[in-house]
Amino acid sequence: MSFVPGQPVTAVVQRIEIQKLRQGDKLILGFSIGGGIDQDPGQNPFSEDKTDKGIYVTRISPGGPADVANLRMGDKIMQVNGWDMTMVTHDQARKKLTKQKEDVVRLLITRKSLEETVRLQLKSMLS
Amino acid sequence: MEDYDVRSAASILASVKEQEARFEQLTRALEEERRNVTLQLERANLPPNPATSQPLAWQQLVMQEQSPSNATSLAMMQEPQEVVEETVTIEEDPGTPTSHVSVVTSDDGTTRRTETKDVSANVKVTKMVKTVTTRTVRQVPLGPDGLPLPEGTSPLGSYTDSIDRRYMKNGSDRFITPQATSTLTRSYNNSYNDSYGETPESQYIRHYGLHDGYADLTDNYGSLSRGVNFRPPRYPYMPNSYRPENSYTLPIRKDDYGHVAQPQVPMGSSTVDLNRSQPERFQPEPYGLEDDRRSLGPEDEEPYELEPDYSTANRRTLPGPNRGRTHREPLRDMHRVRGYPDDPIEAELIEERHPYIHGMYSAPLAQPERGSMASLDRMGGRRSPSIDSIRKDPRWRDPDLPEVIAMLGHPIDPVKSNAAAYLQHLCYENDKIKKDVRQLKGIPVLVGLLDHPKSEVHRKACGALRNISYGKDNENKVAIKNCDGIPALIRLLRKTNDMEVRELITGTLWNLSSYESLKMVIINHGLQTMTNEVIIPHSGWEHEPNEDSKPRDAEWTTVFKNTSGCLRNVSSDGAEARRRLRECEGLVDALLHALQSAVGKKDMDNKSVENCVCIMRNLSYHVHKEVPGAEKFQDPSALQAPGSAGPQRKKKDDAGCFGGKKAKEEWFNQGRKSGDNDKNYDTLDLPKRTEPSKGFELLYQPEVVRLYLSLLTESQNYNTLEAAAGALQNLSAGQWTWSNYIRATVRKEKGLPILVELLRSDSDKVVRAVAIALRNLSIDRRNKDLIGSYAMRDLVSNLPSGQQRPAKNLEEDTVVAILNTIHEIVTDSSENARSLIQAQAIEKLVAINRTSQSARETKAASHVLQTVWSYKELRNALTKDGWNKSHFQPAVTVTPKATKNGKPGYDDTTLPLMEKNQDGYSTIDQRDKDCKYKTDDGSADPTEREPLKNDTNRKHYIRSNRPAVSLVDACDVKPQPVDSWV
Repeated sequence: MSFVPGQPVTAVVQRIEIQKLRQGDKLILGFSIGGGIDQDPGQNPFSEDKTDKGIYVTRISPGGPADVANLRMGDKIMQVNGWDMTMVTHDQARKKLTKQKEDVVRLLITRKSLEETVRLQLKSMLS
Repeated sequence: MEDYDVRSAASILASVKEQEARFEQLTRALEEERRNVTLQLERANLPPNPATSQPLAWQQLVMQEQSPSNATSLAMMQEPQEVVEETVTIEEDPGTPTSHVSVVTSDDGTTRRTETKDVSANVKVTKMVKTVTTRTVRQVPLGPDGLPLPEGTSPLGSYTDSIDRRYMKNGSDRFITPQATSTLTRSYNNSYNDSYGETPESQYIRHYGLHDGYADLTDNYGSLSRGVNFRPPRYPYMPNSYRPENSYTLPIRKDDYGHVAQPQVPMGSSTVDLNRSQPERFQPEPYGLEDDRRSLGPEDEEPYELEPDYSTANRRTLPGPNRGRTHREPLRDMHRVRGYPDDPIEAELIEERHPYIHGMYSAPLAQPERGSMASLDRMGGRRSPSIDSIRKDPRWRDPDLPEVIAMLGHPIDPVKSNAAAYLQHLCYENDKIKKDVRQLKGIPVLVGLLDHPKSEVHRKACGALRNISYGKDNENKVAIKNCDGIPALIRLLRKTNDMEVRELITGTLWNLSSYESLKMVIINHGLQTMTNEVIIPHSGWEHEPNEDSKPRDAEWTTVFKNTSGCLRNVSSDGAEARRRLRECEGLVDALLHALQSAVGKKDMDNKSVENCVCIMRNLSYHVHKEVPGAEKFQDPSALQAPGSAGPQRKKKDDAGCFGGKKAKEEWFNQGRKSGDNDKNYDTLDLPKRTEPSKGFELLYQPEVVRLYLSLLTESQNYNTLEAAAGALQNLSAGQWTWSNYIRATVRKEKGLPILVELLRSDSDKVVRAVAIALRNLSIDRRNKDLIGSYAMRDLVSNLPSGQQRPAKNLEEDTVVAILNTIHEIVTDSSENARSLIQAQAIEKLVAINRTSQSARETKAASHVLQTVWSYKELRNALTKDGWNKSHFQPAVTVTPKATKNGKPGYDDTTLPLMEKNQDGYSTIDQRDKDCKYKTDDGSADPTEREPLKNDTNRKHYIRSNRPAVSLVDACDVKPQPVDSWV
């Protein structure tokens, strides 16, 4: 998901809606994120392009809300409730995800397999 | 990715086509006008020569190129739909010899021009051109896109047009076209008056309102970026590039430059020119460049800020001057349009909603830049190639640096301010240019402009200095200092009430403060001013609070953030700096007030809070040795004169450590005897306060414990967490009454669980600061017991197990810090050693001892193991688990005794060194500072850990060399991957 500054980004995205789970006095989503523009993108194991400073799903707690909603490790989060996540700091992303007054988050994510599926479909349509 | 490319290419293509269609329409309409004019021209023109037919062709070309940009600029300017149309008559008298080109324009619209030309083969042809212009105003039909059909040239373009034309050589007659002349007049009468009469606000609203609109329309992307290449002001050069021979391009430019910059030009004419063109081109420009500043500001200031520095961050992700520039503009637009600075949040939101705005923005941004370029360009000389790829356009040339710097001394103020603004623009993220400016002696001139009475001038100069002062190149900072830039900035800070200028000043000072040799200079010149002018007023603290009024809250303004950042940097400049800050009237009080207000409002994640906590942490360092009267509070066994530095003193300190143990326990028991009564500490031998403490005393009053603990509980900002833990660590170090008291207060305020909780933090440096704070806290016996029973598991879980590192992958320093803390906890406490064994730590410790790549980790682990083995009562249990003596022997030859002995000496010699290094870090390198603090604090602690510390220090030393750089480029300093559960 590299992107060239000055160019719009095109990506195959999937919408994922996660119902937060109440755990004690906290609402949790059951996944963890890595990345952000303040982080070292080179250390992101999931990105294809090692300069990508996007927010990635790094861990999923099994059976948790994110798992149930089909979020997967390595997914790149493009938006959270309409907020862009491709150009945010790690903490900005975390804050957008952990708003206590929202118990549903809608994510726009992209993952490699999605893009491949679409590419294959396109191919089969063309041939 | 591919289809993305294809798609965007396709959309660009589509919009280009659309644009071209529009051009064509415009062109056709324009051609007609042209033809009329050309006919007239030809009648009045020179007798036909072989190229007679060319003017028409050329003009058509020009129009094709011009029209789109005209359309753009018209749109941008939202010009009234009235356009001035002129009828022009040109007469030429060949034969009046003059040696220079001169243009005299009188207000009645008559232009007289005289040119001397060297036509090849030394034939001198001199021409006198007299232009008489009359104007009529009429309605202009609207074009298909609702824009007035451009008539000839835009005001922007025209001016340069006419100027350049003057200097054209061979065949220049052709260029003395009616429309060119007319535009000159037109820009004078129409645009000049128009834009001058307007307030700057209305102007930028006009501009940026439109920019904003473009941002939302992806479709416009293509057409706008197209616009980038069409730079109206440069049209005059187009004939050259369109002709087969480019031969006279350069001479023309030289002429051009010489004309303006050299006095032989009749001053009258050039002055008139400047005045005419400036209002128009120069007015919008400030905003274009201002943005530069704005962008810069965040850059150095907000790298860690959690919420509001979206803009910065964006920019940072895009290396390279071009991209940086691309991004600057839209940000500015946003801010401006949305009413910055009143509503930065709104601006931020908008930015967030349009994440790709920046991307799409390349076009609109070109407009303001163009404006600025144009104005300077006119005066410029040779092309300076490096600046911007956009300008690679051969028709386009920039003034080179010496010219810009020369313009700083121009007698006309707007030229000064624009040159400064342009410099600022050029310097943005371009170290090479900053260096060049320095070498060309531009910095003293800029500093000189700080005292200029016109706000426009000193503001721009300040902006340029801010960009120049930013970056790794400390030479630039030194250069600013060497021409007394720091007192000049401080003077201006005292003088001005303009928020924006204050932001720029404090931003510059912040940049300067990152270089250690300037820190003391800043303290000497600016400490009290910054405190009085910024810190105190913005903190909400009042010297003598009015009983009726509610206590005011702190305002987290940019000025406050910048100033606190600057003080944060200078506060790390060693003992003298700390003393000066502590004794600076009102500073500590105001900082504490600001922090308390942050806690009260639960607004603790911002950069200003971070800065304040860091200053507090730094000022808390060595309070037990450095504050006046500290000796009164020393533990009886460790009594010593406060100022007495040097080896004896350290030794005494050590003596204090050992001899003091008893006293400590006594104290502790005493505390316990008095029960859980919160007041009990007052029953200690603490001096009763007759009046409320103020100034530096506030640093170590037990009340601050609650503040730091609140920050540790509530803040999400790792730097703030780290600094708050560091402050507790500093305060709990040392052997004086107050540190005893602080250690007990942390326990009573239930701070231990808060700290232990933070051992699980994702942030390496937080874990490290907390670990060391726990070590200092465990000097208190009761704390040691509690920490031993409750924190051991969390401490151990941070240790790497064998080959594989734990999930967190902590840095070596952190691992060493944790090992040292564990060592402190198990020393003199077989109970704690037992908890350590139960926490399954032995396996990890043995693994570290045997296999760690790090000598320091190995050493630290082996110390712990030896201590554990020294408890004979535990050996049974250990052997049962399959361990034997060999596991507890040092893998490396370590002689604890020797290290012990080495300690005092080490402390003295290394300390100054460390402080030096650490200074290089200032803001960002809190981390390292902390380590330093730790190590120093350690020195007051029992000896065993000294050797380890020694290593630590050395390491910091090395490290600090590295980031002296990153210091400024804050963002890069924070490389550890963070992973947050949500």
